[in-house]
Amino acid sequence: MKKLSFIAFALLIGTANAGTIEMKVYGLVCGFCAQGIEKTLRKNPATADVVVSLENKLVAVATRDGQDISDADLTKALTDSGYDVKGIARTQRSLDDIRTELKQEKK
Amino acid sequence: MNLFRFACASLLAGAATLAQAKPIAFSQGTTVMAEYGAGTMTEAQVFYAPKYFLSLGGGYLDLESDIDHRRREITYARVNYLVKRWNMEDAQANVFVWGGAGQAYVSELDQHQFAGNAGAQFDYETRRIYASLKTDLHRAEAFSHRVDTLQLGIAPYKHDFDSLATWFVLQGRQYTGGIHDGTEWALLLRLFKRGAWVEAGVTDEGKLQAMAMVNF
Repeated sequence: MKKLSFIAFALLIGTANAGTIEMKVYGLVCGFCAQGIEKTLRKNPATADVVVSLENKLVAVATRDGQDISDADLTKALTDSGYDVKGIARTQRSLDDIRTELKQEKK
Repeated sequence: MNLFRFACASLLAGAATLAQAKPIAFSQGTTVMAEYGAGTMTEAQVFYAPKYFLSLGGGYLDLESDIDHRRREITYARVNYLVKRWNMEDAQANVFVWGGAGQAYVSELDQHQFAGNAGAQFDYETRRIYASLKTDLHRAEAFSHRVDTLQLGIAPYKHDFDSLATWFVLQGRQYTGGIHDGTEWALLLRLFKRGAWVEAGVTDEGKLQAMAMVNF
């Protein structure tokens, strides 16, 4: 069931591509508490930018050119921040695209 | 029914709740908190969390009885531990415990005594409702005071990571050991955005209840 959910999540948000990594995360209900996620991910030298959306249970990371962060490292970073990762997908959306879509969703 | 009690009843009827301060904010984060509790208690705390489930630090607690004006000024070191967290799709729940030790000034004896501290907190929150129950015991040879705090909150809208969170909170607090008779109720407005948090309100006796906190 978990595997099916992950496949559906990956299909929903796009095909694999280095540059942007999107994670579905459970437990994201408070921005005050979730800031630790952003702080942890930004410490990774491969991280260029981070977007967190409580509404979409989404944590998105843009990596620097030619660099990647493994699924295991991402899962560990989120788990060590106290949250549960339910899916990881590499997508073609830029973080600017994601920010724009999130703003449109709020309207 | 006065306006305050009506507002309390309305909040409870809404079955809603809010985000309350947690003793551990996030891994490798520092939390600084100060609270003014209606003239009965004043507390300041600083904690550093090496892990998301553990924080270490200390605090200062001033309890003043509104019955006979006895005072306890307690300075303590404390360890907070997250026993269990439930991460759900749209909610989170936590069980925290803590323990510590320090020194207390006892006004009626005009002396300092060793003091121990222990407590626990359960909380449950979504982006619209919040509930927490906290018990905090401070004990020395001359006194034993437990402060039990219930908070129920409701958010008028769902905040997001970069937006301002607004909560309306009903707080009920009881003190043991002759600090305050009965339950002290307060209605609070809570605002937070990213690492900054402020809340303020008034008790059923018309006294100020306020708290500020930063995470970094």
